[in-house]
Amino acid sequence: MKHSRIIFVFWAMAGLLCAEEDSSRGSLVRVRASIQPYDQFRPWQKKSPYGLNGTGVVLPGGKVLATAALVANRTEVGLEKPGSAEKCAAEVEAIDYEANLALLQPVDRNFLKGFSGLALGPALRAGDKGEVWQLERNGEMLRNQAEILSTGVGRYPSDEAGFLVYGVRVSLPKRDDSYTLPVLKDGQLVGMMMGYDRDSQEGSAIPVPMIEHFLKDAADGKYEGFPTLGVSWSPLRDPNLREEVMAPKSGGLLLTRVNPRGTAGRAGLREGDVLISVDGFKLDEDGNYRDPLYGPTAVGNLIRTRPTVGSPAKFRISRGGKEMELTGTYDRRARDEVAIPTLQFDQAPKYFVVGGLVFQELTGAYLQEWGDKWSERAPQRLVEYFTFQQDKRPDPEKKVIFLSQVLPSPITLGYQQLSGLVLVKLNGKEIHDLAELAKCIDETKTGDLVFEFRDEPGKLVLRAEDLPAVSEKIGQAYGLPALRRL
Amino acid sequence: MVSRFFQLGLLFLLPLLSGCGNGDWQLSAARKNVVMIEVTSQTWDYRLPWNPGTVSSARGAGFVIDRKRIVTNAHVISGARNLTVQREADPRKYPAKVIFVAHDCDLAMIEVEDPEFYKGTSDLQFGEIPDLESVVSVYGFPIGGDRLTVTRGVVSRIDYNSYTHSGRESHLAIQIDAPINPGNSGGPVMQDNRVVGVAFQGFRGDVAQNVGYMIPTPVIRRFLKDVEDGKYDHYVDIAIRWMPLENPAMRNYYQRPNDGLGVVVTDVYSEGSSDGVLAKGDVLLAIDGHPIESDGSVRLDGQPVQLEEIVERKFAGDTVGLEVWRNQKMEKKTITLRPAEMFSMYESLYEEPPRYVLYGGLVFQPLTANLMAVLVSNADLRLRQTYTLFGQDQLYRETPEPVILSSVLPDRSNVYLTGLAGQVVREINGKRIRTLADVLPALESGGERTVIRFEGDQRPAVLKKREVDQVMPRIMTQYGISQPHRTELGGRRLAKGSWNRDGEAK
Repeated sequence: MKHSRIIFVFWAMAGLLCAEEDSSRGSLVRVRASIQPYDQFRPWQKKSPYGLNGTGVVLPGGKVLATAALVANRTEVGLEKPGSAEKCAAEVEAIDYEANLALLQPVDRNFLKGFSGLALGPALRAGDKGEVWQLERNGEMLRNQAEILSTGVGRYPSDEAGFLVYGVRVSLPKRDDSYTLPVLKDGQLVGMMMGYDRDSQEGSAIPVPMIEHFLKDAADGKYEGFPTLGVSWSPLRDPNLREEVMAPKSGGLLLTRVNPRGTAGRAGLREGDVLISVDGFKLDEDGNYRDPLYGPTAVGNLIRTRPTVGSPAKFRISRGGKEMELTGTYDRRARDEVAIPTLQFDQAPKYFVVGGLVFQELTGAYLQEWGDKWSERAPQRLVEYFTFQQDKRPDPEKKVIFLSQVLPSPITLGYQQLSGLVLVKLNGKEIHDLAELAKCIDETKTGDLVFEFRDEPGKLVLRAEDLPAVSEKIGQAYGLPALRRL
Repeated sequence: MVSRFFQLGLLFLLPLLSGCGNGDWQLSAARKNVVMIEVTSQTWDYRLPWNPGTVSSARGAGFVIDRKRIVTNAHVISGARNLTVQREADPRKYPAKVIFVAHDCDLAMIEVEDPEFYKGTSDLQFGEIPDLESVVSVYGFPIGGDRLTVTRGVVSRIDYNSYTHSGRESHLAIQIDAPINPGNSGGPVMQDNRVVGVAFQGFRGDVAQNVGYMIPTPVIRRFLKDVEDGKYDHYVDIAIRWMPLENPAMRNYYQRPNDGLGVVVTDVYSEGSSDGVLAKGDVLLAIDGHPIESDGSVRLDGQPVQLEEIVERKFAGDTVGLEVWRNQKMEKKTITLRPAEMFSMYESLYEEPPRYVLYGGLVFQPLTANLMAVLVSNADLRLRQTYTLFGQDQLYRETPEPVILSSVLPDRSNVYLTGLAGQVVREINGKRIRTLADVLPALESGGERTVIRFEGDQRPAVLKKREVDQVMPRIMTQYGISQPHRTELGGRRLAKGSWNRDGEAK
């Protein structure tokens, strides 16, 4: 579990023309999403909108399953019956960007009346055969023979740790906007394609156990997500290392970091412990357990897909050569309770403009705005805060506020070139989030506002009495719809 | 090796815009003294630090200054194993040797033993900084032929610029609007029969056109004066950071009138010249009697220059006087200048062989600009941050010389360790590793197992001492390594650091 490097998957845009009637198959709908991400560098505005088209799977009961990537940063989602122009807006009922799944509900509950929907089928193994379905423009279904090449834990587009994924070989004749497509076996849904490479004719699919977990979680209307242990670990193959950590004769992995807020940390696991088994499943030296269905499988599946948030966790560890059992409850706080969120879709970036100084809260989304080489191109101090969040485990309540840019104004003379500076204090008081910063500034009517930064130039000063007039002018001059979003 | 000269040392070609002085006389004076330098040099390979490095040959220029010494660029002669010089008037090639080299300002002095070589040379005079728009002549041996080449260009800009040879230094440099070609580095730039600069660097043609740089005479004079005592000392550094004091609210905060003067000290580097004398928040108003404008410039010979220029012209042990506004009081401070050794990690190394420790296939090297250059493509984020923030965050106080597990030479004894290459070493056998010198004693300490821990969340590397002793001869033979380690600092000086040594001894 190395440092996170969020992978983005882009869907090419193409306008699919739509034609004719006939939707008797009753299992697939087109999903048309209009997408408009926020502009992290100009947090008061959004970027150019564009459209994405994909295929959604109608479930028994009339809801629609799609990948989360298809509807990320949406302004509007619509469903369209295959082979007809009949459309209906849809709401996103549950969405999980890590698991790359979304559950859509047509606004008109009768829209999919007459659709039988696809039931969930069994989990597949490597070597199993199935079909990947595609919709023709005229609504005809293309059934493409597919083979499951592999089952194992792999990377999802917006996840940092890994989930179970099927490697699928299939020849897809139709070039699609988004390879969000269903995988079927014997007429039942067994997976959702989420990526495809036309050259190798291989793709990846979200397996049915993930879909089941997602739907079960979403069923009660309160979506909680997949649990996480909150640990970093290393294999324990090296006999010298085994000896050093007094590992048992065989099996187990070495915990190299334990987040005290995570499932493992709150169950009492510590850095340096050897994790021998989880919920009765023994772990081997490479971090695999023997899955009843898939055989040797990475521990990630064991701790993320199988249990749900709130279910009990049981760990057997060896500490200094002594074995012991520890129990806890699965949760995902190690993932959610962080000072700098790694994943951020659909959320408007916070900002606060004061006299021309633009402050933002640091997020993974802001850093990724710097492009593929963000870790080299973004201000190094911000990269450091983000990357070493794990090392330093800062208080999740203490957000990282930084001066992202300066809009030149009469009172920012000499400050114009500054950017990427982490704010530490205002008038000697530590500031932990943007709302607090705004409040302190609003309450200061006269006198100096001394901003203290982590790095050079250290301090910047504004006069509180200058602010009201200047702020208004800045809003007008730069056309900002608002000077703050907190 | 031509490529190195392409990157760093370049020369100028541009037509004359206006006449200057007696052209004939000037040509002959310069032509009498300019020399072609042919160098065979060796460059260390930081991937294989035990190897003697790669040998290559290149050509540059230089000039005889006083009938017995030749000035050229440091990058022309760095790593030189064999050096010959040749004058325009004499077909013979004379062997030469390096007397002084100043990598920080890219200057060097070489000498020929045979007095025959100097026959017909003259004493060259050094001029001042040439005026903007004035024309200068550049002498050298650029690609395209073997004979002396003269070109002319206009002085386009006089400003601070980075000296790429050292990798970290910035000094005064003069830009000329002449195109640049490899092989001309070290040649004299003349105006009115005087040397006004040494051609030294430029941009590749795909980056910019007609931008060439020369080292101006204040830098050359400083070098010549520095070596008078028989050795070259490094440039000194005031070792502070400052910010312009232009903003009215900021001026008001520091209680300074709107007189357009003063800059604020934003950082004072530990172990630097100003450590203990200046403090964050001090407003610097004058340096050696020169008022400091709010943008950090001072007037020197009527020209606005950065305040550092005052320090630039001084030597180790010299003092600089500052007028400081602190706590609403004017104070006079005196700073004794010294080189900023704590930043030496960022300087490219040329002469000294790379240092390393080999232990059971594990190669430890101190973090240097040279090592970073070979690791950078696949450097771990943590390693890159250690490098980037080393100076800014004064990491040298804790670790004057971070040690990196730079590679793991595969051997059947270390098959599980190969993935750890590139990690920053934190401790070995419980002992904190602050410099390469800590590595050997730490490896020898401890019990039957050696445990190496790294920064971040990597697993430790564990080796059995007895096994390491057994496999070392095999690894050294297989990889052609004659010495298991090279740890002598040589001429390098590191930061002292400021951790609690007493605490550690206990």
